[in-house]
This record gives sequence, structure tokens and C-alpha cells, in this order.
Amino acid sequence: MASNTAIPVSAGKERSEIVIIFARNWALFFLIFLTAVFSFTGKGFFSLKNFQNILYLSTIFLLLATAETYVIISGGIDLSVGFVMGLSSVLSAKIMQIMHEALIAGPVTIIILGTLIAIGVSLMPGLINGVLIARYNVPPFIATLGMWGIANGITLKICQGFPVSYLPPGLVELGNGYIVYILPGKAFSFFHKPFGIEDSQIRELIRIIPNAIIFFVVVLSIFWFILNKTKFGQHNYAIGGSKDAAVRAGINVKKHLIIVYTLSSFLAGLAGVFNVFQTGIGNFTPFSAMYELFAIAAVVIGGASLMGGKGRIIGSCIGVILLRLIANGLSIAGVEPFYRFIAVGLILIIAVVIDQLFPDLF
Amino acid sequence: MKDSSSARNYKRFLISAGRQWALIFLVLETLVFIIFARGFFSLKGLQIIFFFSTAIFLLGTAETFVIITGGIDLSVGFIMGFASIVSAKLIVILSNMGISPGLSILIGIIITLLVGLIPGYINGTLVARLKVPSFIATFSMLSITYGISELLIQGVPAKNLPYLANNIGNGYFIYILPGKLVTLFKKPAIVRGEPLIEIIPNVVVFTFLFVFIFSFILKRTKFGQHTYAIGGNIEAAVRAGINVKSHLIKIYMVSSFFSTLAGIMYMLKYVTGKGDAGATFLLDAIVAVVIGGASLYGGIGTVGKTILGCLIIAVLETGLRMMGVPTFEKYIAVGIVLIFAVLIDQFFPELIHKED
Repeated sequence: MASNTAIPVSAGKERSEIVIIFARNWALFFLIFLTAVFSFTGKGFFSLKNFQNILYLSTIFLLLATAETYVIISGGIDLSVGFVMGLSSVLSAKIMQIMHEALIAGPVTIIILGTLIAIGVSLMPGLINGVLIARYNVPPFIATLGMWGIANGITLKICQGFPVSYLPPGLVELGNGYIVYILPGKAFSFFHKPFGIEDSQIRELIRIIPNAIIFFVVVLSIFWFILNKTKFGQHNYAIGGSKDAAVRAGINVKKHLIIVYTLSSFLAGLAGVFNVFQTGIGNFTPFSAMYELFAIAAVVIGGASLMGGKGRIIGSCIGVILLRLIANGLSIAGVEPFYRFIAVGLILIIAVVIDQLFPDLF
Repeated sequence: MKDSSSARNYKRFLISAGRQWALIFLVLETLVFIIFARGFFSLKGLQIIFFFSTAIFLLGTAETFVIITGGIDLSVGFIMGFASIVSAKLIVILSNMGISPGLSILIGIIITLLVGLIPGYINGTLVARLKVPSFIATFSMLSITYGISELLIQGVPAKNLPYLANNIGNGYFIYILPGKLVTLFKKPAIVRGEPLIEIIPNVVVFTFLFVFIFSFILKRTKFGQHTYAIGGNIEAAVRAGINVKSHLIKIYMVSSFFSTLAGIMYMLKYVTGKGDAGATFLLDAIVAVVIGGASLYGGIGTVGKTILGCLIIAVLETGLRMMGVPTFEKYIAVGIVLIFAVLIDQFFPELIHKED
């Protein structure tokens, strides 16, 4: 492409390749740029420990953003994910708490039962959303907003407005554990701290790869595979691109949409249960948390269009990590935490404006 | 022959009932609460419904304007919180400067109303000029206003507002001492135990004053006509010579004006400012507009019908609270009403078509 000699009209359309690459991957470049900036502004930012920490704290957002990616590609939106996550978190914790108190079974059985029941129940909101949207033509925004209220109400009813605690032991070790522990020159172990370690040595212990990373890498890989390599994923893009065309092409759009919203709810449920593993308590979702909106923001930053038919899971992941990195970097640099909200808003605007300026690129 | 005509009459009745379902629902709901909620059916109970729901009415009106143009404004709740903090801070600063309480409240409110137009202007510019989807633009603004509110307040709620603010916010429009005197705005000095009748809280008066003005604007003026035209078909509106961009900016400014008003009402009622004061009202406002029959695709909706939707939610919330039901149920109830509203809208057009 001889971009220098092109006439002005086509020069507008065929921008130089560097600009195209930059515009397509601006979130990634911005991520690298911010990493560099924060490395200078904050002590301890550029370290294995901190990077692992960022990923560890991104886990639930990654799951929610993946859910949102599926829904947004299909041309919808799911506002209920944040509260479905809270529901599953509180429900699983409550089940574990009751069974643990009654000493019905060993901790392992209790944890497995609580997890499975909570994830099973969290399929329900998605199923209802999907049926309302696909069969009764309720706009996705409204159906999931209704579920937003209902899930939140049920959550608060279960936990009465307090976090659920007194859970079986071993939960937090699973959620907060690391794959490899190294005590330089002395000890080395997998999955648990080396035996016989003294308290004074704990600070020197190097922890590598949180279990959380393995967990989300596995889940996200599965969902990446479904979206990119299967017929189901193709249909998702087709429906988002043009619903009418998808119907004419013989896709069972209604069934597909119901599955998509159920998947979204499933991922939110998974995030909720993982939240219990991370924090050791069942957390309800406060109104000011706005998980769903952060997830949507991450997906949009990752290059998806709210009109549907466009979006990538890897893009959404970059979006999540960008948002978490900003929160982390700002707090390490000693900036007030509230600037985070302002930063998120500004970056979101940048994302969409770039999308508008280069509509032909994505 | 007779059978079919009576069947048709029955069907016609069903259709008209379906069209007025919101009103019927409101009446039924009120009846239920009159029976089951103690103190609901009294002058005081009735006023409490309005007193606690000023934010729903104001934010519902804000959202009506935006939804008619085919957009959505997610920032209303947090602009409300932002305004409550800005006004509280300003009034404290002004009264610390030695200005009289009345004047500092007045100046504080006026400045807040002006400041409150800024988020709306930015929203409008993003949506109209930069073609950012309204969902994203207003979400960014939500995030930004929340951040700024928390920065302004530094975790400590604004304190030491003049006592006058409390008097205004929790005062009433008319006071009647039966058989003795009637006063406006000013609470008469009374002996303890004397029956003082208080009618219409001040904040309700302010709220409905603005709601009625803007209801008139939407219904009767060119501005209102253009709003519907843009929502109905934006291309046609452009061809008809409407300056769509500047009109949309004005619409988002109207929305943030009403959110600011809601924040000021909050400040007057609770004599403080809080960043997430309006977080829970976003759902209520959108639900009210949808119950009022507005379409999220734009072009349909009126302030009057939104007020009906607001009343349904306000009665539901106040009634549940008076019945002693924990507030958690409220969210479930509102969510169910929302889905119910949309389902009715989906089903009744079909019925009407069959009739033709």
C-alpha cells in the first residue's frame, strides 16, 4: 500500500498501518504505557508480587466481563451479573455456614455441596432473563434491570444485610493459595506453605502463581474456545450482527439467546462462589460496587460494540486488567482512591471516541 | 348474535382495562395497603408517601425526557449525590463567611443548580456531537461524578448546616391550628399537645412545581414537540430542520437539572450530603418511566404517565415500610413490577390488533 501517494479521499480511508495497529490495540498500548508510568510513580509497583496481586484481584471481574462479552456480542446487555454474583456468594456461604454449624458432613463435602447448589441456583436468573428476552421480546436492558432488583432483594433477604461468616476451614487457603512456594535456598513446595516454616521466615517466602490465576485461565480458555472455535460462537456473532439474517440462516435464535443469558448468569454465579473462596465470607453486592457497569466498561474498552456483533474475550480481559491496573497503580502512588472512578469514566469515553473515529478498523 | 356482541363488549372492556392497567394497579395496591398497613390511610401517611419519594418523582421526570429521545441516563442517581454534597458544602462555606443562613442557602442552591448543568452538558455533547452511545456516556459521567463527590467530601459527611435548612426541608406549606389560625411556611408557636395540622411538605411543593412546569414544556411547547420528533425518527427530525445536536444537549441538561434538584431536596431533608444518595433511585426512576408506558426506543411517553409510575413505586415502598416489611423486599417487588409492566406492554398490542 503506497499510502504516501494516495489521493486525499482514499487517504482518509486507508490510514497508515501504524495508525491502524495502534487504534486497534490502543488498550494494550495504553496498558503498557501505564505500567511504565506507574513503575516510576509507585514503589513496589513493578514486582512479581504486585502483578500477581493485580491478576488475583481481577478474577471476578474477568469472569463477569466474559459473561458480558457473550451477551454484548449477541446484541444485548446484562445488568444483573453484579447482583447474581452477590446472590451466589451469599447463598453458597449460607449453605456452608448452616451445614458447618450442624456438623452434617466434613468440610470438603460441605464446600463442594455449597458451591454446586449456589451455581445451580444462579442459572435461574439467567434462564428467566433469557426467556423474557427471547420469547417475550422484553428489551434486554429492562429484563435484566428487573432481575437486578429481584436478585438483590433475595440476596439481602438471605443475609439480612450482613456478610455471612463462620464458614468451614480450608476455604480461604484454597482461594488465596499459590501453586509454588519457595523459601530461597531452603525449602520448596507445591500448593501449601513448606512445613516447619517459622513466622520470621514468612516474609521471605516467595509465592508464585496464585490458584486464582489457574482457575480463571481454565475458565476463560473454555469460554474463549466456545466463542471462537465452535458453531455456538459463530451463531453468537451472527445474531449480534443481524438478527433477521440469523433467523433466515436457520439459527434457532430464541434458544440461542436463552443459552447466552444462562451462560452469563452461570459465570456470575461462578464469580460469586469464587468470591467466597477469596474472602472467606459471603458478600452481598452493595449498590455502589457497580460490578456490572465495570464489566461492561471493560468489554467496551476491549473493542466490543454495544450494537452487537463485535467483541473479543482477549480484548475484554485487557479491558479488565487495564481498569484494575489503574486502581492498583493509583493506590500505590498514594493517590486518593476516588480518582479511580474519574479515571474509569475518562478512559471509557476515550474508548468509545476512538471507536467512533476509526469505525472501519474493528 | 347477542352472545357475540356481549363477548365483544367484554373484550373491549379488557382492552380498555389493559390500557389503564397502571391506574388500576395503583388503586388495588393502595387498597391493599389501606387494609394491611397501619397509619397508611391518614393525612400524615399520604404525605409521607410524597415526602420520601421526591427523588423518584424528580429522577423519573429527568429520565422521561431522555428516554423519549431514545437515550438513557444512568448518571441521574450520582449527579443527585454530587449535587447534595456540592450544595451542602457551599452552604456551610457561605454561612461560615458570615452570610445570613437564608441568603447562604439561597446562593448555595443557585450555584449548585448551575454547577449541576455541567454533567448534563458534557453528557449531551458526548452523545450528540461525538456520537457516544448514551449508555456509555452517562455511565462514564456516573463514575466521574461519584469520584468527584467522594473527593469533595473526603469520607466525612458535610456537617454544621444552618438549622434553617432543616426547617425548610422538613417544614410544611400550610399549618392549621383548628379554629385559631392558619399560617403559610412558618410553624406557629404552640403549646405542647395542641393539635397542629400540617399540610404538604415544602419539598413536595418544590418538587411538583418543577415537575408541572416541565410537564407543560414537554406537552405544549415547540421544545416538547421537537423532543418527540427526535425520539420518533431522528433522520426525519434532521430533515425537518430541527437542530438535533443542540436539542439533545439541552435534553441531557434538563435531565441533570432535575437530578440536581433531587440532590438539593435530599440535602434539605436530611441536612447532609452523600455521594451515593441516589444510587438506589436509578432503578426506581427507569421503572417508573417504563410503567408509564414509555418506549426505550424513543418517541413515546409523558411526564404525567411517569408520575403515575412513580406513584406506584412510591406507594409500594412506603406501604411495605409501614407494614414493617424489611426494605429488602422492596427491590424484589420493584423488579417484578418492572417485568410485569413490560410483559403487559408486549401482550396488549396483540389484543388490540386482533380486535381490528
